[in-house]
Parts: sequence; structure tokens; C-alpha cells
Amino acid sequence: MSRALKYLLLFLSLGVALAPVYWMVTISLKSEVDHFASPPPWFSFTPTLEHYYEAFVTRSFAQYLVTSAIVAVISTLCALILGTLAAYALARFRLPYELDRKLSLWILSTRMFPAIVTAVPLFLMMRDLRLLDTKASLIIVYTAFNLPFVVWMMRGFFDEVPRDLEEAALVDGDSRLGALVRVVLPLVAPGLAATAVFCLIVSWNEFLFALVLTQTDASMTLPVGIAGRVTQYEIKWGVMSAAGAVAIVPILVFAMAMQKYLVRGLSLGAVKG
Amino acid sequence: MPNSRRLSNAASRRHLLLPYVLVAPAVAVLLALSIYPLIYSITVSLQVGDAWSIGNFTRLASDNFFLTAMAHTFVFAVAALSCEFLLGLGLALLLNSQIRGRGFFRATLLVPMMLPPVVAAIVWRLLLNPNFGAINGTLKEIGINTEALTWTASPSLAMMSVIAVDVWQWTPFVFLVLLAGLQAIPQEPYEAALIDGSSRWQTFWHVTLPLLKPAILIVLLLRTMDLLRVFDQIFILTEGGPGFATETISLYIYRSAFRFFDFGYAAAMSFVLLALTNVISVVYIRLLRNESRA
Repeated sequence: MSRALKYLLLFLSLGVALAPVYWMVTISLKSEVDHFASPPPWFSFTPTLEHYYEAFVTRSFAQYLVTSAIVAVISTLCALILGTLAAYALARFRLPYELDRKLSLWILSTRMFPAIVTAVPLFLMMRDLRLLDTKASLIIVYTAFNLPFVVWMMRGFFDEVPRDLEEAALVDGDSRLGALVRVVLPLVAPGLAATAVFCLIVSWNEFLFALVLTQTDASMTLPVGIAGRVTQYEIKWGVMSAAGAVAIVPILVFAMAMQKYLVRGLSLGAVKG
Repeated sequence: MPNSRRLSNAASRRHLLLPYVLVAPAVAVLLALSIYPLIYSITVSLQVGDAWSIGNFTRLASDNFFLTAMAHTFVFAVAALSCEFLLGLGLALLLNSQIRGRGFFRATLLVPMMLPPVVAAIVWRLLLNPNFGAINGTLKEIGINTEALTWTASPSLAMMSVIAVDVWQWTPFVFLVLLAGLQAIPQEPYEAALIDGSSRWQTFWHVTLPLLKPAILIVLLLRTMDLLRVFDQIFILTEGGPGFATETISLYIYRSAFRFFDFGYAAAMSFVLLALTNVISVVYIRLLRNESRA
């Protein structure tokens, strides 16, 4: 294949990947008149921030944004703490009856359940516990959802740390947990950070559980807030696009920051990338 | 002496218990939030009214909506998977050759996959809107009659549209994993193939593909699981419509549970979906195992 053709194909793919997102950003910046203009103005329009103002000041999108952030951060922390401890044990101890291996596989398999399968009973459980329409319900569900991922990823990172280092610390009189905190965790810090970012992205993007478990502005996350505007009779395209554009920003920043671990995280550690 | 021995016994017992103590909280959370819900769901699915019954399961076989939703799910999954695989492989091979700015292309091509699925669907509703969408607007500009092209509002084009959106969003994932797989292949087999004088096509078929097979199987497994449970994008793009044209199994379960409040029936259907994804993942994992043994 000639060089020119290669680059042509690459730039074409780039256009297909980015143009749709660019279009949404322009809609968020165009006044309503320009939304319906023909031919569609791809480049020449007078930008305005009115939709951002309407979304985040007049309407409740600022609140959804805060809820999304709270839920994502707290559930990520919980999953990281529980998951890292379990992963360390599964990476370092050989348990009888191959229990360590079986436990790892079982933990991974819980991640494979289609979300809708657990969404129905979780809704009923949260209803019984009177936790429907609370941030707590989302934090609980996202912690459980991210947990297998953290265990699986961190187990892989722990496996890569040579045991000699800890054994030296143990000989020096450190306890197991002391060795974990002082010796091993600093070495897996980049992996831990990448895992955290993945959990944040997953929680930030999650839609189905949030749709099922929340009903009012008090506990809605950003995706549910945006989706709520689609099914209304009069669709506010500008407001939706503005909210969508804002929802993308943290994700892109995070993703770029941890490119190195992207493949590994997305394939649940199966491809080391 | 006896004292210190007792101490060390206690210490070593604590040492033996440590892994269980570390694993227990995570296992408890998963039991409470993954396994218990499944058991709860079984009991819900086995009740009709207030009586125990397998009625929800027998009803499945004669529910045409359920069967149609299953068929839609298969069509969606097979079509999207094939397109994503072929396009993703093509892009990966393209970027694995001598290219300037590979890092830049790789990073920007990934953007669609990072978007929240809800936002990706909004993006495409803006593009595909028959009245003011950029696609029809631009087609009109170059002189194409767009009257029949109502995309997500047309029963015949709606399925194609939701497939296209999924392909747009998830081809980057396939591409990313396959590119990583390609870059992990050592140079030696290629040098040997060069010495043997095999053609480019032969090299691809006999060297690249076999060595890439584990990465291919993993990416197909992960995509298949996601495609069979698809919900977010279709919910936003068409809500399963027009009519029933894009209703997949997850949407039908959602509708049964949260619109018609028929939780028992929804639970019964969700077990069919669970069984299906389990069977398919077992097949993939068998293939992968054979691969690592060979």
C-alpha cells in the first residue's frame, strides 16, 4: 500500500472518529436559530454560551455533575481499598484446594453478569432497604461493580513485583501489612492510579443502574440527567449538547493521562499492551 | 522458652489467617451484591402472583415480543461484531506499519470509545435527525434526496443506524487491543518468512494471524459480552422503536420490569440472557485455553 493512501485512510478515520463529537460541541455553542439552519453550519456560526448557562445555572445540571463526581470518587475509593487487599492476598498466598485460583476466577466471573440481570433484583433490594433514589445506593452498587476489576488488575500488578523485596522487609521485622504498605504499594503505585482512573471512568459513564435506582434531581447522575432531556416532548438540543460536552471533559483528561495502561485495563488485564 | 513458642504459634496462626482476612471483605461485598441478587431474582422469577410457579419461564416460549427481541439482539451483535472486527483489524494493521505520528493517531482514534455511551448516543441523535441533522443536511448539500433517509425514525433503517453507532463507538477498542497484540509479536518469524520468500498475504495468513489469535479471541469475547447486553445507546437513540424495530433483550427486560412492573417475568428473561452469555463465554475461554496449550 502506498504511503499516501495509508495517510489518507488514517486521516479519513480520524475525521469519522472526531467529526460527530465536534458537531455536538458546535450545537452546544450555537444559538437555537443556527441549529435548524440549512446547510448545516459546520464552521461559521456565532458562538454563544447561552446553553451552558441554561444547563448549569437555570437547570439542575450542576447538581447532577456534583452527584456524579461524589458517587464516582467514593465508590472508587471503596473498591480500591477492598480490592487491593484481596488482590494482595490472592497474589501472594497459596491457599489449600487451589482456593486462591478459584476465588480469583469466581471474582472475575461476577463482572461478566449482564448489568440488566442484577439491575432488576438490586432495584427490589434497594426498595426494601428504602435506599431507592439515594446516592448511597449508587455508591454501593458501583463499588461492587468495580471490585472484580480492581482485584483482577491489582493481582496482575502485584505478580510483577519480585517477592524478594517484601521478604527482605519481613526479615527486617516488618509485618505483612507493613511490608505491603511500605514496600509493595509504592512499587505498584502507577498501576493503582491507572486502576483508580478506570473505576472513575466506569462509574462516571454508567447509565443503567443510575437510571433504575434514581428518580429525582437529588440523586441523578449526569448521564441520567442528560437522558431525561431526550424523552421529553420538547427536546432541548443545545442544553443536552452542553451537558454532554461537559461530561466528556474529565474522561478525556483521565484517559490521556493513563494511555500506557489503557489496553491492559480495557481487557481486564488479559492483554498486557 | 514455652512462652516464646506459644507466641510464635499465635503469630503463625495469625499469619495463616491473614489471606482470608484480606479476601473476606471483598468476597462479602460480592456475595451481597452479585450472588444474593441472583438468588433473589430466582425466587422472584418463580412466583406468579403470590404462588410458586414456573409460569414466567413457560410464557417465554410463546411470547413473540421476547423471541423478536432475542432475534434483534443476535442480528445486532453479529453485524456489529463483524464490522468492528474487520475495521479494527484494518486500522491496527495500518498503524502497525511505518507511520509517522503513530501516538497521535492512536490517541485521537480512541476518543469515541471514551465517551459515556449516553453522550455518544446524543451525538448521533444530533447527526441523524432527519430534519436538522448534519448528515442529511450535508447529503442535501451535495444533491442527494434525503426524504426517505429518516434513519432512527424509519423501521427499515433504525437497526442499521444503531449498529452503525455501536461500530463507531467500539471499533477503537478492537483496534487498540489488536494493535497491542501486533506490537507484541516478535520480529523473528517475519524475518524467517522473508527468507522463505513468502508473499505479504502468505505472511499475514501464516504468521500474523496465528500469532494474533489470543488477542483476537479476547477482544471478540469482551465485545460479544457487551453486544449481547447492549442497552444505553439503543435506549437513547430509539428506545427500542420505531415500534419494536430495535428492541433488544436488555431493553425488553427493562420495559417489563420498570414500565409494566412485571418483575417476575423480567427476572425469568434475564436468566435466559445470563445463560446465553455464559455459554458463549465458555466457548471462547475453551478456545483460548487450547490456544495457550498449543
